[in-house]
Amino acid sequence: MLKQHIVATGAFVLSQMMLPVHAAALMGFEDSAMLMTEIGRYNQEWMLNYSPTLGHAIGVEQMRMSGKGEQATTISGINYTGLIKRWNLPSAQANVWFNGSVGEARGQYDGFAYTPSLQFDVESTRLYFLAKARVIRAPHMNFDTAAVQAGFSFYETGFNETQPWFVIEAKTMRNNDPGLQVTPALRLINKNYFLEFGVTNPWQGEGFAPRLNAMFVF
Amino acid sequence: MKKLLVTLMLSAMTPAAFAVTTIKAEVNGMVCAFCAKGIEKKLNSLPQKQAAFVDLKSRVVALQLKDGQEVSNDAFSKVIQDAGYSVSKLERVNQTVDAIQAEVAKAEQKTGSK
Repeated sequence: MLKQHIVATGAFVLSQMMLPVHAAALMGFEDSAMLMTEIGRYNQEWMLNYSPTLGHAIGVEQMRMSGKGEQATTISGINYTGLIKRWNLPSAQANVWFNGSVGEARGQYDGFAYTPSLQFDVESTRLYFLAKARVIRAPHMNFDTAAVQAGFSFYETGFNETQPWFVIEAKTMRNNDPGLQVTPALRLINKNYFLEFGVTNPWQGEGFAPRLNAMFVF
Repeated sequence: MKKLLVTLMLSAMTPAAFAVTTIKAEVNGMVCAFCAKGIEKKLNSLPQKQAAFVDLKSRVVALQLKDGQEVSNDAFSKVIQDAGYSVSKLERVNQTVDAIQAEVAKAEQKTGSK
Protein backbone atom coordinates (compact mmCIF):
# COMPACT_ATOMS: atom_id res chain seq x y z
CA MET A 1 0.00 0.00 0.00
CA LEU A 2 2.78 2.35 1.04
CA LYS A 3 4.75 1.36 -2.06
CA GLN A 4 1.73 2.19 -4.24
CA HIS A 5 1.48 5.59 -2.61
CA ILE A 6 5.17 6.24 -3.15
CA VAL A 7 4.95 5.21 -6.81
CA ALA A 8 1.83 7.34 -7.33
CA THR A 9 3.43 10.34 -5.62
CA GLY A 10 6.64 9.86 -7.60
CA ALA A 11 4.74 9.64 -10.87
CA PHE A 12 2.81 12.79 -10.00
CA VAL A 13 5.95 14.73 -9.06
CA LEU A 14 7.68 13.52 -12.22
CA SER A 15 4.70 14.48 -14.34
CA GLN A 16 4.88 17.97 -12.91
CA MET A 17 8.54 18.32 -13.85
CA MET A 18 7.41 19.13 -17.34
CA LEU A 19 6.21 21.90 -19.57
CA PRO A 20 2.68 23.22 -19.86
CA VAL A 21 1.59 22.48 -23.38
CA HIS A 22 0.48 26.06 -23.80
CA ALA A 23 3.84 27.51 -22.77
CA ALA A 24 5.40 29.80 -25.33
CA ALA A 25 8.35 27.61 -26.20
CA LEU A 26 7.27 24.33 -27.73
CA MET A 27 10.77 22.96 -27.90
CA GLY A 28 14.14 23.46 -26.29
CA PHE A 29 17.34 24.53 -27.96
CA GLU A 30 19.36 22.52 -30.47
CA ASP A 31 20.21 19.02 -29.24
CA SER A 32 17.88 19.20 -26.25
CA ALA A 33 14.95 17.15 -25.05
CA MET A 34 11.84 18.59 -23.50
CA LEU A 35 9.15 17.01 -21.40
CA MET A 36 5.83 18.83 -21.06
CA THR A 37 2.44 18.25 -19.55
CA GLU A 38 -0.90 19.75 -18.72
CA ILE A 39 -2.81 18.06 -15.99
CA GLY A 40 -6.25 19.32 -15.14
CA ARG A 41 -9.59 17.81 -14.28
CA TYR A 42 -11.05 18.20 -17.77
CA ASN A 43 -8.21 17.08 -19.97
CA GLN A 44 -4.67 15.84 -19.61
CA GLU A 45 -1.78 15.94 -21.99
CA TRP A 46 1.91 15.15 -22.02
CA MET A 47 4.58 15.34 -24.68
CA LEU A 48 8.24 14.41 -24.88
CA ASN A 49 10.22 15.78 -27.79
CA TYR A 50 13.78 16.04 -29.01
CA SER A 51 15.11 18.94 -31.02
CA PRO A 52 17.96 17.83 -33.31
CA THR A 53 18.24 21.31 -34.75
CA LEU A 54 16.80 24.72 -34.04
CA GLY A 55 13.21 24.98 -35.23
CA HIS A 56 12.36 21.28 -35.45
CA ALA A 57 11.43 18.76 -32.81
CA ILE A 58 10.03 15.27 -32.97
CA GLY A 59 8.50 13.30 -30.17
CA VAL A 60 5.58 11.41 -28.73
CA GLU A 61 2.38 12.80 -27.29
CA GLN A 62 -0.60 11.51 -25.41
CA MET A 63 -3.78 13.44 -24.66
CA ARG A 64 -6.92 12.43 -22.81
CA MET A 65 -10.24 14.20 -22.83
CA SER A 66 -13.95 13.46 -22.55
CA GLY A 67 -17.28 14.97 -23.49
CA LYS A 68 -20.10 15.42 -21.01
CA GLY A 69 -21.26 12.01 -19.76
CA GLU A 70 -18.84 10.24 -22.10
CA GLN A 71 -16.12 7.74 -21.49
CA ALA A 72 -12.66 9.35 -21.86
CA THR A 73 -10.78 9.14 -25.15
CA THR A 74 -7.00 8.86 -25.22
CA ILE A 75 -4.99 9.81 -28.28
CA SER A 76 -1.45 8.46 -28.53
CA GLY A 77 0.69 9.63 -31.39
CA ILE A 78 3.91 10.80 -32.97
CA ASN A 79 4.38 14.53 -32.71
CA TYR A 80 6.20 17.13 -34.77
CA THR A 81 6.87 20.75 -33.78
CA GLY A 82 8.17 23.32 -36.23
CA LEU A 83 9.10 26.95 -35.75
CA ILE A 84 7.57 28.65 -38.78
CA LYS A 85 8.84 32.14 -38.07
CA ARG A 86 10.67 33.95 -35.27
CA TRP A 87 11.11 37.67 -34.82
CA ASN A 88 13.94 38.69 -32.49
CA LEU A 89 13.37 42.26 -31.36
CA PRO A 90 15.57 44.31 -28.99
CA SER A 91 13.41 43.61 -25.96
CA ALA A 92 10.93 41.05 -27.22
CA GLN A 93 10.48 37.89 -29.20
CA ALA A 94 7.57 36.66 -31.32
CA ASN A 95 7.05 33.22 -32.82
CA VAL A 96 4.70 31.29 -35.06
CA TRP A 97 4.71 27.53 -34.43
CA PHE A 98 3.20 24.45 -36.02
CA ASN A 99 2.55 21.49 -33.78
CA GLY A 100 0.67 18.29 -34.47
CA SER A 101 0.38 14.60 -33.86
CA VAL A 102 -0.89 11.66 -35.84
CA GLY A 103 -1.84 8.55 -33.96
CA GLU A 104 -4.61 6.43 -32.62
CA ALA A 105 -7.67 7.28 -30.54
CA ARG A 106 -9.00 4.79 -28.04
CA GLY A 107 -11.92 5.00 -25.63
CA GLN A 108 -15.25 6.65 -26.44
CA TYR A 109 -13.95 7.12 -29.98
CA ASP A 110 -11.56 4.80 -31.82
CA GLY A 111 -9.47 5.11 -34.93
CA PHE A 112 -6.96 7.32 -36.70
CA ALA A 113 -6.50 10.67 -34.95
CA TYR A 114 -4.78 13.87 -36.03
CA THR A 115 -4.15 17.10 -34.12
CA PRO A 116 -2.57 19.90 -36.21
CA SER A 117 -2.24 23.29 -34.52
CA LEU A 118 -0.91 26.79 -35.03
CA GLN A 119 0.40 29.00 -32.26
CA PHE A 120 1.45 32.62 -32.14
CA ASP A 121 3.21 34.06 -29.13
CA VAL A 122 4.91 37.31 -28.29
CA GLU A 123 6.74 38.13 -25.09
CA SER A 124 9.01 40.70 -23.57
CA THR A 125 10.75 40.51 -20.20
CA ARG A 126 7.56 41.93 -18.65
CA LEU A 127 4.59 41.05 -20.90
CA TYR A 128 3.35 37.89 -22.58
CA PHE A 129 0.61 36.93 -25.05
CA LEU A 130 -0.23 33.66 -26.77
CA ALA A 131 -2.97 32.50 -29.14
CA LYS A 132 -3.40 28.93 -30.26
CA ALA A 133 -5.85 26.93 -32.34
CA ARG A 134 -5.79 23.15 -32.55
CA VAL A 135 -7.80 20.63 -34.50
CA ILE A 136 -8.30 17.41 -32.50
CA ARG A 137 -10.14 14.85 -34.58
CA ALA A 138 -10.81 11.15 -34.93
CA PRO A 139 -13.75 9.31 -36.54
CA HIS A 140 -16.96 10.89 -35.13
CA MET A 141 -14.84 12.88 -32.63
CA ASN A 142 -14.20 16.61 -32.51
CA PHE A 143 -12.34 18.22 -29.62
CA ASP A 144 -11.08 21.28 -31.53
CA THR A 145 -9.48 23.75 -29.15
CA ALA A 146 -8.74 27.47 -29.12
CA ALA A 147 -6.82 29.23 -26.36
CA VAL A 148 -5.46 32.66 -25.54
CA GLN A 149 -3.10 33.55 -22.73
CA ALA A 150 -1.89 36.90 -21.47
CA GLY A 151 0.34 37.76 -18.56
CA PHE A 152 2.82 40.05 -16.93
CA SER A 153 5.88 39.57 -14.77
CA PHE A 154 6.01 41.23 -11.37
CA TYR A 155 9.55 42.48 -11.97
CA GLU A 156 12.55 41.94 -14.23
CA THR A 157 15.18 39.47 -13.13
CA GLY A 158 18.68 38.42 -14.07
CA PHE A 159 19.66 35.23 -15.88
CA ASN A 160 20.28 33.32 -12.64
CA GLU A 161 17.15 34.44 -10.80
CA THR A 162 13.58 33.16 -10.68
CA GLN A 163 10.98 35.39 -12.31
CA PRO A 164 7.35 35.28 -11.13
CA TRP A 165 4.53 35.90 -13.63
CA PHE A 166 0.77 36.20 -13.44
CA VAL A 167 -0.84 34.53 -16.45
CA ILE A 168 -4.51 34.08 -17.33
CA GLU A 169 -5.73 31.63 -19.94
CA ALA A 170 -9.11 31.29 -21.64
CA LYS A 171 -9.62 28.01 -23.46
CA THR A 172 -12.51 26.48 -25.31
CA MET A 173 -12.72 22.86 -26.35
CA ARG A 174 -15.60 21.54 -28.46
CA ASN A 175 -17.73 18.90 -26.75
CA ASN A 176 -15.77 19.33 -23.52
CA ASP A 177 -17.50 20.36 -20.32
CA PRO A 178 -17.20 23.14 -19.27
CA GLY A 179 -16.88 24.58 -22.75
CA LEU A 180 -15.00 27.65 -21.53
CA GLN A 181 -12.14 27.14 -19.12
CA VAL A 182 -10.57 30.23 -17.59
CA THR A 183 -7.39 29.62 -15.61
CA PRO A 184 -5.55 32.32 -13.70
CA ALA A 185 -2.10 31.05 -12.78
CA LEU A 186 1.15 31.93 -11.07
CA ARG A 187 4.15 31.04 -13.21
CA LEU A 188 7.75 30.82 -12.02
CA ILE A 189 10.50 30.86 -14.64
CA ASN A 190 14.08 29.97 -13.88
CA LYS A 191 16.82 29.01 -16.31
CA ASN A 192 16.45 25.41 -15.14
CA TYR A 193 12.70 25.04 -14.73
CA PHE A 194 9.30 26.44 -15.52
CA LEU A 195 6.58 25.89 -12.93
CA GLU A 196 2.94 26.96 -13.04
CA PHE A 197 0.04 26.58 -10.67
CA GLY A 198 -3.43 27.64 -11.72
CA VAL A 199 -7.08 27.20 -10.87
CA THR A 200 -9.58 26.58 -13.67
CA ASN A 201 -12.92 28.40 -13.37
CA PRO A 202 -12.31 29.39 -9.72
CA TRP A 203 -15.77 30.95 -9.43
CA GLN A 204 -17.52 27.71 -10.42
CA GLY A 205 -18.46 25.37 -7.58
CA GLU A 206 -18.21 21.98 -9.26
CA GLY A 207 -16.15 23.21 -12.19
CA PHE A 208 -13.41 24.55 -9.93
CA ALA A 209 -10.24 22.59 -10.59
CA PRO A 210 -6.55 23.09 -9.77
CA ARG A 211 -4.06 22.78 -12.59
CA LEU A 212 -0.36 22.22 -12.21
CA ASN A 213 2.25 22.50 -14.92
CA ALA A 214 5.98 22.48 -15.11
CA MET A 215 8.71 22.33 -17.70
CA PHE A 216 12.05 20.66 -17.71
CA VAL A 217 14.55 20.80 -20.54
CA PHE A 218 17.70 18.73 -20.66
CA MET B 1 70.09 30.12 -23.58
CA LYS B 2 70.81 33.83 -23.11
CA LYS B 3 68.83 34.57 -26.27
CA LEU B 4 65.92 32.57 -24.96
CA LEU B 5 65.92 34.42 -21.66
CA VAL B 6 65.93 37.80 -23.41
CA THR B 7 63.05 36.73 -25.64
CA LEU B 8 61.09 35.52 -22.64
CA MET B 9 61.72 38.78 -20.76
CA LEU B 10 60.70 40.86 -23.73
CA SER B 11 57.53 38.92 -24.34
CA ALA B 12 56.67 39.16 -20.65
CA MET B 13 57.01 42.94 -20.81
CA THR B 14 54.71 43.22 -23.82
CA PRO B 15 51.21 44.42 -22.82
CA ALA B 16 49.68 41.88 -25.15
CA ALA B 17 50.93 39.14 -22.88
CA PHE B 18 48.52 40.39 -20.23
CA ALA B 19 45.64 41.17 -22.60
CA VAL B 20 42.31 39.53 -22.05
CA THR B 21 40.07 39.04 -25.03
CA THR B 22 36.35 39.00 -24.46
CA ILE B 23 33.67 39.06 -27.11
CA LYS B 24 30.82 41.22 -25.85
CA ALA B 25 27.52 41.27 -27.73
CA GLU B 26 24.06 42.73 -27.44
CA VAL B 27 21.51 40.06 -28.31
CA ASN B 28 17.96 40.55 -29.58
CA GLY B 29 15.08 38.30 -28.56
CA MET B 30 16.50 37.17 -25.22
CA VAL B 31 13.47 37.58 -22.96
CA CYS B 32 13.53 34.80 -20.39
CA ALA B 33 16.18 32.77 -18.61
CA PHE B 34 14.65 29.45 -19.55
CA CYS B 35 14.68 30.39 -23.23
CA ALA B 36 18.21 31.81 -23.09
CA LYS B 37 19.62 28.70 -21.45
CA GLY B 38 20.51 27.41 -24.91
CA ILE B 39 22.98 30.29 -25.31
CA GLU B 40 24.72 29.41 -22.05
CA LYS B 41 24.87 25.74 -23.03
CA LYS B 42 26.37 26.55 -26.42
CA LEU B 43 28.96 28.93 -24.97
CA ASN B 44 29.93 26.43 -22.29
CA SER B 45 30.57 23.81 -24.95
CA LEU B 46 33.17 25.97 -26.72
CA PRO B 47 36.71 24.71 -26.01
CA GLN B 48 38.02 28.29 -26.34
CA LYS B 49 35.85 29.48 -23.44
CA GLN B 50 37.52 30.84 -20.34
CA ALA B 51 34.29 32.31 -18.92
CA ALA B 52 30.84 33.27 -20.16
CA PHE B 53 28.15 35.65 -19.00
CA VAL B 54 24.50 36.15 -19.99
CA ASP B 55 22.42 39.07 -18.73
CA LEU B 56 18.74 39.40 -19.61
CA LYS B 57 18.19 43.00 -18.50
CA SER B 58 21.03 44.51 -20.49
CA ARG B 59 20.76 41.84 -23.25
CA VAL B 60 24.52 41.32 -22.94
CA VAL B 61 26.24 38.04 -23.76
CA ALA B 62 30.00 37.88 -23.15
CA LEU B 63 32.58 35.22 -23.92
CA GLN B 64 36.06 35.51 -22.45
CA LEU B 65 38.57 33.52 -24.47
CA LYS B 66 41.37 31.39 -23.10
CA ASP B 67 44.88 32.73 -23.69
CA GLY B 68 45.94 32.10 -27.27
CA GLN B 69 42.49 30.91 -28.31
CA GLU B 70 40.35 32.54 -30.96
CA VAL B 71 36.69 32.64 -31.97
CA SER B 72 35.86 34.82 -34.95
CA ASN B 73 33.04 37.35 -34.78
CA ASP B 74 31.15 35.34 -37.42
CA ALA B 75 31.56 32.12 -35.46
CA PHE B 76 30.34 33.83 -32.29
CA SER B 77 27.31 35.30 -34.09
CA LYS B 78 26.51 31.84 -35.48
CA VAL B 79 26.52 30.37 -31.97
CA ILE B 80 23.93 32.96 -30.94
CA GLN B 81 21.88 32.42 -34.09
CA ASP B 82 21.96 28.65 -33.66
CA ALA B 83 20.51 29.17 -30.18
CA GLY B 84 17.62 31.10 -31.79
CA TYR B 85 18.63 34.72 -31.25
CA SER B 86 20.31 37.51 -33.22
CA VAL B 87 23.27 39.74 -32.49
CA SER B 88 22.59 43.47 -32.77
CA LYS B 89 26.03 44.72 -31.66
CA LEU B 90 29.35 42.99 -31.22
CA GLU B 91 32.70 44.21 -29.94
CA ARG B 92 35.97 42.86 -28.59
CA VAL B 93 37.02 44.25 -25.26
CA ASN B 94 40.05 43.78 -23.03
CA GLN B 95 37.91 43.14 -19.96
CA THR B 96 37.31 39.93 -18.08
CA VAL B 97 33.80 38.54 -17.88
CA ASP B 98 33.86 39.30 -14.14
CA ALA B 99 34.61 42.96 -14.88
CA ILE B 100 31.78 43.13 -17.44
CA GLN B 101 29.43 41.47 -14.99
CA ALA B 102 30.34 44.02 -12.30
CA GLU B 103 29.92 46.87 -14.79
CA VAL B 104 26.49 45.63 -15.88
CA ALA B 105 25.38 45.12 -12.27
CA LYS B 106 26.49 48.64 -11.41
CA ALA B 107 24.64 50.12 -14.39
CA GLU B 108 21.48 48.18 -13.51
CA GLN B 109 21.73 49.29 -9.89
CA LYS B 110 22.04 52.88 -11.06
CA THR B 111 19.03 52.54 -13.37
CA GLY B 112 17.02 50.82 -10.65
CA SER B 113 17.75 53.48 -8.07
CA LYS B 114 16.57 56.29 -10.34
